Amino acid sequence: MPEQAILNFGLQLQPQPRMVSVVRRFVEESFEKMVGDPDAVHRVSLAVHELLENAAKYAVGDKTGLTVHFDAQGSTASIKLTNRTTPEHIARLRACIDAIQAAAEPFVHYRNLMRSNFGTAAESGLGLARIRAEGELNLSLEIRGDTVTIVASS
Amino acid sequence: MTSWARNTTENDFAANATADQGRILVSLSGTADVTIRNHLDHFLREVHQEAQRCRAEEVTVDVRQLEFMNSSCLKCLVWWVSTVQEQPAEGKYKIVFVSSPSLYWQRRSLDALACLADDIISVQT
Repeated sequence: MPEQAILNFGLQLQPQPRMVSVVRRFVEESFEKMVGDPDAVHRVSLAVHELLENAAKYAVGDKTGLTVHFDAQGSTASIKLTNRTTPEHIARLRACIDAIQAAAEPFVHYRNLMRSNFGTAAESGLGLARIRAEGELNLSLEIRGDTVTIVASS
Repeated sequence: MTSWARNTTENDFAANATADQGRILVSLSGTADVTIRNHLDHFLREVHQEAQRCRAEEVTVDVRQLEFMNSSCLKCLVWWVSTVQEQPAEGKYKIVFVSSPSLYWQRRSLDALACLADDIISVQT
């Protein structure tokens, strides 16, 4: 395989909770064979899982687009998840990602969210903070009307 | 013979707990995702009640077969350790996670959890 090879795939799927683990396993099993760093693959698959669960809970409509890009060494990766959603959820997403981007220490932010939201089933942004802290991926948000794209990238 | 036992299964997730002479063993396996959050929440509340009832000093949680845990299930574990932390001294007990080094998420997630309560949690590999 060439040293700079880029591996990628795209999926369009219905955002259902039962599909989330299926896609995460697909990501792990596909990229584990091709990417030199298994830890990087698992950090990306964690991000895929959390983002897809987010879409399964809050997407409007029956289409969610997922793309995953990797270089063969696992040193760079990006995940994009696109779906339509409500204005309320867009505002929540924006606030969560702003707070994550503003946090000087992602792990401290993640730990603080854990402490402040335990025992509640309510949306806390913990999944996004986990992507930043445990997945070591930067997060950004693109908004076009009612369509949002969350980008997680190293 | 065990004096107390609980188990729950949903999709490919399974949780089992047994208690005998103040020693509680828990095992979690499969995938803990949003579809099983309520099952895990209920299960952990029962484990905590039993730990309090039998004045357990330690609960061992074997997660070596737990393929993945999502953030909402992680919050159930945070509830559990936070609840133990809030107990008076005689009601506190240790929680020991037995983890797998080949399941990469476990090191990061369990380390994050241990940071919340390093007086209560330890992680074995």
